[in-house]
Amino acid sequence: MSTQDNSRVPLLQGTLDVLILRMLLFGSQHGQGIARAIQEQSQDVLLVDHGSLYPALQRLEAAGWISAEWGTSENNRKARFYKLTKTGRKQLAQETQQWRRLAETMGRVLGLENSGS
Amino acid sequence: MFFRRKDADFQQEIQAHLDLETDRLIAEGMPPSEARAAAHKTFGNVLTAEERMHERSRWMWLEQFVQDIRYGWRGLRKSPAFVATTVLSLSLGISLVVILFAIFNAYVLRPFAVRDPYSLYRIGWNAPEAKGTHFSWRDFLELRGRSDLFDDVTAERIALANSGGRTLVCAFVSGGYFETLGARLVLGRTPAGNEEAVVLSYEAWKLLFQKNPTIVGQTLDVGRRKLEIAGVLGPAFTGLDDSPRDLWVPLALYSPMAQVNLFDPKEPPVLNVVARLRHDVTAAQAQTALTPFMARMVSHPNTSVRAEVTLQATPVTLSLDTLAVLSAPLAAFLLVLLTACANVSNIMLARANARFREISVRLSIGASRGRLVRQLLTEGLLISLMAGILGLALASIGLQAGVDLFVGALPPSAAASIRVVPLEFDHRVFLFTLAAAFGSTLLFALAPALQAAKLPLTDALRGHSNDTRTGSRLRSALVASQVMVSLVLLVATITLARSARALGAADLGIDRTAVVTIRPRVNESPMLASASAALSFDPHIESVAAASIAPLSESSRKIAVSAQRGAGTIGAPYTFVSDAYFQTLHIPILRGRGFTPAESKAEANVAVVSAAAAQSLWPNADPIGQFIHIERPEGQAKDELPGYDAAVVIGIARDVVSTMVFEGPASAHVYFPTNASSSHASVLLARGWSPQQIRPEITQAILQKIHPEPTAFQVMPLEEALALQMFPIRITSWIGSLLGGIALALSLSGLYAVLTYSLSQRRREIGIRMALGASRISIVRLVMAQSMRLAGVGAAIGILLAAGIMKGLSSVVELRNVVFIDMASFAISLTLVLTAALAASLFPACRATGVDPGRTLRVDN
Repeated sequence: MSTQDNSRVPLLQGTLDVLILRMLLFGSQHGQGIARAIQEQSQDVLLVDHGSLYPALQRLEAAGWISAEWGTSENNRKARFYKLTKTGRKQLAQETQQWRRLAETMGRVLGLENSGS
Repeated sequence: MFFRRKDADFQQEIQAHLDLETDRLIAEGMPPSEARAAAHKTFGNVLTAEERMHERSRWMWLEQFVQDIRYGWRGLRKSPAFVATTVLSLSLGISLVVILFAIFNAYVLRPFAVRDPYSLYRIGWNAPEAKGTHFSWRDFLELRGRSDLFDDVTAERIALANSGGRTLVCAFVSGGYFETLGARLVLGRTPAGNEEAVVLSYEAWKLLFQKNPTIVGQTLDVGRRKLEIAGVLGPAFTGLDDSPRDLWVPLALYSPMAQVNLFDPKEPPVLNVVARLRHDVTAAQAQTALTPFMARMVSHPNTSVRAEVTLQATPVTLSLDTLAVLSAPLAAFLLVLLTACANVSNIMLARANARFREISVRLSIGASRGRLVRQLLTEGLLISLMAGILGLALASIGLQAGVDLFVGALPPSAAASIRVVPLEFDHRVFLFTLAAAFGSTLLFALAPALQAAKLPLTDALRGHSNDTRTGSRLRSALVASQVMVSLVLLVATITLARSARALGAADLGIDRTAVVTIRPRVNESPMLASASAALSFDPHIESVAAASIAPLSESSRKIAVSAQRGAGTIGAPYTFVSDAYFQTLHIPILRGRGFTPAESKAEANVAVVSAAAAQSLWPNADPIGQFIHIERPEGQAKDELPGYDAAVVIGIARDVVSTMVFEGPASAHVYFPTNASSSHASVLLARGWSPQQIRPEITQAILQKIHPEPTAFQVMPLEEALALQMFPIRITSWIGSLLGGIALALSLSGLYAVLTYSLSQRRREIGIRMALGASRISIVRLVMAQSMRLAGVGAAIGILLAAGIMKGLSSVVELRNVVFIDMASFAISLTLVLTAALAASLFPACRATGVDPGRTLRVDN
């Protein structure tokens, strides 16, 4: 039995990558900023394990979808900033579409679409 | 990411993250001390994140591999006995397959050491009932003119020549042979087309001149001719097929040396032709283009002749047939490697169990099971690499010894002209050894590694080894299968050895002692008659006969004969023999009489039939005086058949083995009269007064009076002809015994290891039994029963498998005189295996009784 707050949902496997890419669409950002942004934009529903964020960032960097550079944050701290690359943009578009289809299909199969209309 | 990201860089990033998060939390109003802790809490385990980052980097596997090797090496150094047993048994198995592969490589895989070997093609022709690869000089010239198909065409004629009492394999080659092939010389030059000069093979240079570097320009006596030594070839090139030559001589010298006019259109074709195909022509195109030429050349009536253009880049062309022939020895050799793997696997299983403490500590402090399996596999890899190196050394020694043994075991008359292709180890052999080592690692190390990694953590933490049931079952299965393999190999070997003995002792129907066959090598017509006359006047010789074929070395041609024209035809081998034939070979005439000298001389239309032929042609009548009718098949050359179509039967001879011993006596045999001067006769058979008086040297000395060339006649004792027939069987049974012996030794050591190990696990149990009053005998019986169960199961499956294999063999190989399902062989093998298993378990069993019950019960473990 989980003792966690029921309104919070742990991330599904494989969803973190697309979320990271999406967050970087608005400009470069450092790891902590990305984690924060996901939490805020999901209105605190999605829970990002900060520890698993970095391996994910590393994976995306290895795939060439994002690039990184050391810089300074707005409060003058050194941080590693990530930026979406050209292929990363394409990847995001593709994965977004896949997610839409998946979500629609899941919804239809689980009977949510009908009950909604 | 083209370079590896530094761990420090990553640590810095995480630090930055924590700082930013803390800043944020403080900005949200959290007290600084709590903010730091909260940031850490949301991040989770920093160390794990760092570790995961580290493991993702691409060099990780190498780093772990190096670590595993270092660790494995340390572990192996600590247990030299374990290393010695495993490396030794594995290297035995590896060396055997490497030997087999080295032979396969030398004959089938390694291309000739010439320029562009894959454009070399052998030219031949093929008709429905005949084929050939021999061409006359004129055919060769015509082929050489086909520049639309070939870049170059070479011709070659192999002949034996005598040089100072030694028989040399001599290749007479067309002009431009060496230029076309581009084989490398180590000394001198290649001779011009009509020069009286030779090129020596590397082996001949070594054998005849001990690698004397100043040999070029000296002369060599070849068949009573002094030839200048022009050059010496490198060791890699020995000729364009599977039998190495000793020297190369210009083809222009063939006619004077062999005393045959090669350029005479009436001479039979003797040249082998190898051509370099043009690069824009395929073999199939050349075949089509040459077919009209072949049809004209062969001029065989009513047959469709096709040209054959086959790749000749290696001594033996790789084909399904070659593979089929090789599959049986390959299977046997692989089985031995498998037994060796089973052995090592078994020892590793036992070791993994003995190492359970170490493994459990590693598991409990967080080693992943995958990593553990990898570590144990790496250890296996180290063992098999060592075994591979040792196996390569063993294979090299074994191969040399094997070749020496092979050549030494050949009958002397064959040994003079049989050469073995150089069997050195090249990159293919090294790669194969490496592959064999890797493959066997997977075979022997994977199961123990998986087994060890399955160790339940609870057991591990308790520090208590419960030898898992699957582990001991796996070990038992391995031992049982070892016993099975050795039994199969032993059954095959013993059956073979027993049939060889039975064949050697078989009654052939002819008396082969003190008889030699004499065959002229030089093609001069009065040779046979004068030799026959010379021999019959010699005091050493009891009798001389002429025949169309030599018994025990050539197969007789067959004709269809019948008792009445057109009815009840049977196919029977036939031989033309002179009047002294039956007497020379001691073949009894059962009824009637043999040929008279007059009938021989006149080649009269009379016949002697074998008892079996008489029985099948005239089952109810007296054959003597009957006519035997000869059905003349269309297209058969006239000079091969009697000049008449019916003959009077004058005698019945005893059934004899006409050609191959393992085919048994011929079901029917017909003899027709001939004499030494006739074209039907091609060999002489001479019987001496004793085996001593008919030694080949003595016979050769008599024959020298006819022809001064020592190699003009081939003289071979009938005993040697038989030995030559038996040679493949003998060699196979030797190899089989070697394999069976090694497999048996391996499975016994496997059995021994398993018993020793399981007894060390059962010390407590045995102690308790003894404390409760079990006698020593009952303990021995307990251990023996365990070993006999293992050996028994293996032997039972082995017997079934062997019976299946032998049954399969007997349906594939049709040898009438060989018994495949030989009960005695099965019984002997079974007794041997079970006795050996008993002996191997006796020592562990006796040691088990030495367990001190008092001590074992006190000790916790």
